Amino acid sequence: MLSVRDLAKRFGEIRAVDGISFDVQDGEIFGLLGPNGAGKTTTISMISGVLAPDGGQVLVDGQDVWARPKQVKRLLGVVPQEIAVYEDLTARDNLVFWASLYGLRGAQRRAAIDRALERVGLADRAADRVRTFSGGMKRRLNLSMGLIHEPKFLLLDEPTVGIDPQARLAILEIVREVAASGTTVLYTTHYMDEAEKLCDRVAIIDHGRILATGTLDELTRLAGEGELLRLTGSFTADALRERLGALDGVEPRRLADGFALLARRPDGPGLAQLLPRLLDAEAGVDDVAIQRPSLEAVFIALTGRALRD
Amino acid sequence: MAATLAIVRRDLVRWARNPGRLVLLLGMPLALAAIFALAFGTGGEAGLTVRVLVIDEDGTALSEFLSGALGSQEDTGPLDVEIVGEEGRAMIERGEASALVIIPEGFTDAFLDGRPATLRLIKNPAEQFLPQAVEEALRAAAVVLSQASRTFRDELAEFSAMLAADHSPDPVAIGAMSTRIAAKLQTVEPYLFPPVIELETISADGGDESDDGPSMQAVLSLVLPGLAVLSLLFFAQAATRDVMEEREHGLLRRLLSAPVGTGEYLLAKCVSVVTVSALGFALLIGIGRLAGVAWGPPVAVIGLVLSASIAASGLLLLLVSLVSSEMAANALTTIVVMVSAMVGGSFVPLPALPDFLLPVARLTVNYWATSGFLVLIRDGGGPADVVPQIGVLAGGGLAMLAVGAFRLARRIRAGDV
Ligand SMILES: Nc1ncnc2c1ncn2[C@@H]1O[C@H](COP(=O)(O)OP(=O)(O)O)[C@@H](O)[C@H]1O
Ligand SMILES: [Mg+2]
Repeated sequence: MLSVRDLAKRFGEIRAVDGISFDVQDGEIFGLLGPNGAGKTTTISMISGVLAPDGGQVLVDGQDVWARPKQVKRLLGVVPQEIAVYEDLTARDNLVFWASLYGLRGAQRRAAIDRALERVGLADRAADRVRTFSGGMKRRLNLSMGLIHEPKFLLLDEPTVGIDPQARLAILEIVREVAASGTTVLYTTHYMDEAEKLCDRVAIIDHGRILATGTLDELTRLAGEGELLRLTGSFTADALRERLGALDGVEPRRLADGFALLARRPDGPGLAQLLPRLLDAEAGVDDVAIQRPSLEAVFIALTGRALRD
Repeated sequence: MAATLAIVRRDLVRWARNPGRLVLLLGMPLALAAIFALAFGTGGEAGLTVRVLVIDEDGTALSEFLSGALGSQEDTGPLDVEIVGEEGRAMIERGEASALVIIPEGFTDAFLDGRPATLRLIKNPAEQFLPQAVEEALRAAAVVLSQASRTFRDELAEFSAMLAADHSPDPVAIGAMSTRIAAKLQTVEPYLFPPVIELETISADGGDESDDGPSMQAVLSLVLPGLAVLSLLFFAQAATRDVMEEREHGLLRRLLSAPVGTGEYLLAKCVSVVTVSALGFALLIGIGRLAGVAWGPPVAVIGLVLSASIAASGLLLLLVSLVSSEMAANALTTIVVMVSAMVGGSFVPLPALPDFLLPVARLTVNYWATSGFLVLIRDGGGPADVVPQIGVLAGGGLAMLAVGAFRLARRIRAGDV
């Protein structure tokens, strides 16, 4: 388990990380979701023993990173936000160097490198200089360097920044496979959808503070929302309000002639019971669009602003 | 320690994978040396001409061809070949030419019959140069060097363009810089001249009458040490630049997230900067040796190479530790390197350095390293004679290396990664 306790770091007046705590359980993919400047990179740097915290503690399997840096760092694989590879070297050169830092030699090192290249799908480009790689390939190499010593914990700092959607999907798939093979993953991102698709649990971070932690379900419930139902049709606001009075389990969020936004209470009747009654011919509702609750909505609920700005 | 070795190895592999960088750093001083040699060459205009007389006693087609080839070249630079009659003997006696080449009667027949065909060479007794050696060396210089310099000026622009694509902005700066150097060289040419002439008396002591071309050697021996030291500083600059680059591209942060201590990292950096500098320097010394420069006793040369490399590395690492960005580092190191080359004897040979510059010159790596080589090459000194230079270079270098590394360590510990 990776435990972060009251971790804090300030740069001059800026409280980059302002007393955060969370636990990453063995085997899970834990997401740290927050906008630019939220303190994600600073957090990763403190966990990985690069940046000394001003306060708090990081425990990796019970060991303090700053008390026993060398032992603990061996348990961690870190993939920084930047593409931190030597572009004038080949992919293999980069991995050879990286593997030797962890004391791998000879046949063992070769095997580890081949495995890492295989994992990220770069085996056929191993002998090429990184300079000739596409952005996505560089990202994958960046990722493979964090995997070379088969760490127990993989810390990924925004590993998909700046690449096209397809290359992003490839990275997410690799991360899923790595996690499936038993590696515990801490994944930072400012992309909602990545956190939603990838992570077992997510902590939402903003201005150096954690606003909420939990599974997707827990988080979305926290924002007080079930699905949102978007109704359009020939109904009037009054007629619909009357009709809704007879329905328990939904709350009107907006009501206008011909348009309504309803929130379904998670504890109320299911969609299967609600929908036929809403779509009743007499009600004048032509269409119901169902929107799943999202982290975006949670983020807005928690911070009063959208994530992407 | 394993991590330290891995980092050093990685740094060296990077150099091996970037031959362009190596060629540029080695080529620059050699090209500059060529320009210097040209300064000697274009000296024709300033009155320094090596005059060679040819008496053709043979008078056949072959001998005419030979003397014609010697005399009728369009651009022989400093070499003035004149076909003369018997009066040539009197002219050489009077010291009016450096050498007299006599193509004796029967030369062509002997040549055609496969018998030994001898050309007779009579040297000016006032000059210690062997005429044929002068001729060969200067002819080679005229052809090769004028060619080299003609292309050199054009290539400079290409150099910078090539490197712009290759690496961060720096090599561009180097390219631009070498352009400036070339321009500067031309303005200081008049000052370079006297020591080059002085050089004749230098090699006169040697009285070397072997087949070597003493004048080429002499020019190189005079200018190459200073330029090699300049190149050493460029090597150290390029090697320390990696420190900044690593920091700005997140590589340092990544490195420190591996089981690598700050001390191990900085030790590795010191070792690789010194190693790269020493290898680059040694390569230039080797090339100079092939070109005929007699550097002196190996022990003394190795001592100077190592201590100068430590000094150059220390200086550059210290400079880099004073600033916080790659760009600032480039600017600062370039200024310091160029200024110390100017005042420290890399461009103006030390004997020609104005006295008032001496106190400043003594603050430079260039001065101590170049003066060490001067002691070996010109004064025929041995290892004991360069102990002061080696001491200053090694001592000052280690001190600067230590302060630089200490400052960088403090910065890393403070979280500036
Ligand atoms: N070395 C530093 N010096 C000063 N301020 C910093 C430094 N690193 C980060 N910060 C500031 O700390 C805050 C958090 O930054 P960071 O951890 O990089 O956020 P994120 O990774 O979530 O985008 C930002 O306001 C950033 O400007
Ligand atoms: Mg970040």
